[in-house]
Amino acid sequence: MSAEPDVPQITNDSMEDRLYTVKYDDAGDSHLDVKVPDVCARCTTNDCVSVCPANVWREGDDGVPHIAYENCLECSSCRFACTYDNVVWEYPETGAGVTFKKG
Amino acid sequence: MSAILERVDEEVLEAPNYDGEFDAVVVGAGLAGSAAALTMAERDLEVLLIERGSSPGAKNVFGGVLYTPTIRELVDLEDAPLERYIAEKRFSMLSHDDETAISISPGEWRREPHNDSYTVFRGEFDEWFAEQAVEAGATLVTETTVTGLLREGREIVGVETDRPDGEIEAPYVVLAEGANSLVGEGANLKATESRENVAVAAKEVLEFPHGENVIENRFRLFGDAGVSYHYFGEGAVGEAFGGGFIYTNGDTVSVGVAYRLEDAAVNEQPPEETLNLFKSHPRVAPLLRDARTVEYSAKTIPEGGAESVPDLAHDGAVIVGDAAGLVLNNGVHLEGTNMAVESGYHAGRVIADANARGRTDADALEAYGRALEESFVVKNLERYAWLQETVEEDRELLFETMPTAFADAGAEYFRMDREPKAEHANRAKRAVIDALGGWRGLAKLALRYRKVVT
Repeated sequence: MSAEPDVPQITNDSMEDRLYTVKYDDAGDSHLDVKVPDVCARCTTNDCVSVCPANVWREGDDGVPHIAYENCLECSSCRFACTYDNVVWEYPETGAGVTFKKG
Repeated sequence: MSAILERVDEEVLEAPNYDGEFDAVVVGAGLAGSAAALTMAERDLEVLLIERGSSPGAKNVFGGVLYTPTIRELVDLEDAPLERYIAEKRFSMLSHDDETAISISPGEWRREPHNDSYTVFRGEFDEWFAEQAVEAGATLVTETTVTGLLREGREIVGVETDRPDGEIEAPYVVLAEGANSLVGEGANLKATESRENVAVAAKEVLEFPHGENVIENRFRLFGDAGVSYHYFGEGAVGEAFGGGFIYTNGDTVSVGVAYRLEDAAVNEQPPEETLNLFKSHPRVAPLLRDARTVEYSAKTIPEGGAESVPDLAHDGAVIVGDAAGLVLNNGVHLEGTNMAVESGYHAGRVIADANARGRTDADALEAYGRALEESFVVKNLERYAWLQETVEEDRELLFETMPTAFADAGAEYFRMDREPKAEHANRAKRAVIDALGGWRGLAKLALRYRKVVT
């Protein structure tokens, strides 16, 4: 971002490596979904993709997002961000999902 | 009736009928939930504290500083897992390549009780705090998710969980489920917050595997002293309304960004990318170089302020902590942990009083709402209720123009050349005044924001 001298390079982990730092217990089923796929197909902004800190929501070929729920950090940004209120968000069952050691 | 309780304790298992076993169910073993559970257990109520994570804190994320004025009254913090006390607060404006900062480090903060400000890890602290509630007599059950509320007419009479036969009746329910409050919203006890009023935060805990005492040396620390660095302006979170932070823990630092979801969406600015840019800022990168990521996390923060606080008392239920929107962010004060504990304490106290009088109705529990209104929690939220909107209107001026103007003024004021200082001072003054709309603009700005600090 800057050609400024004497600034150290910061190397960041890839998203994959970042997500490896948290424990994940797969509930088997996605705790995320879309309510009406047609709404997503007509959506042009893909806000769910822009706000997700964990690359859970990805633009799909048919305009309906692909949901990599096993990446989810359970922040709930997608639920608030979708202006069509089209996100289904449930707590993963019986303790499944992400576990933070530090938080 | 409740199979889940069989996992909890033998005594309960032997009981033929669990109806009436618990006086209160607390949903969520975070700071607000455990404060409520502890307060009620100490007043001899039978309390069930339900946590969906594998242990209390497992699902919890925050920036990094626990404010302890209330919690210190409730428990002995002597053995609590604290990381460092905050000995220095630093507020920094970043343009794309400038920094102008102010640092506050009173001697008083180095002495007990350290202005009641400590970095902690929620994974450790929340577990410890929930244990204090258990020692006071509360029953903790983990890996159990509350999926809804039980009702009899208008009255909330218990919770529904995802365990087999997982319905649990209790006269009082405390909703402490955090910012993502699916149960409270599902039961129409609160509205879903608009994305203008919710921030998204992405955070990393970093360690420094190369060299000794890296944190002490970089942040000029000794012993248990620590720092909280706050950054705002274009260099922190781009065009968004928000900021960046660095907090020192014992052997790690927490670094993160938090900004409005609205901006993340409209600017197409994903949190991870924003975090990477912040970490690479020329004035931030030297503090974070050669680090290794210990943990990556994210959370939403309810920042709607006083206007967004829902009805706190219902027939048979109260709402506390993040679920009640009890977070203060006015740019200088970034608080939530203290408000969570205060709300949990008042909720627990009021429920115990109501229980003694055999009352479960909203009118009786409204004493909790009143107590909160009389406390620093709602008073502080109300004091800064005007801020969000005003900052939004001045966003470009505050986050883009001002960081550059102050940096330019600093560069002029201290310019080393063969001109007299009067020239430098004049140019420095002009850099700020012109950027901020002349003397008139400056006066208006000062008037507008005087209440942030006065």
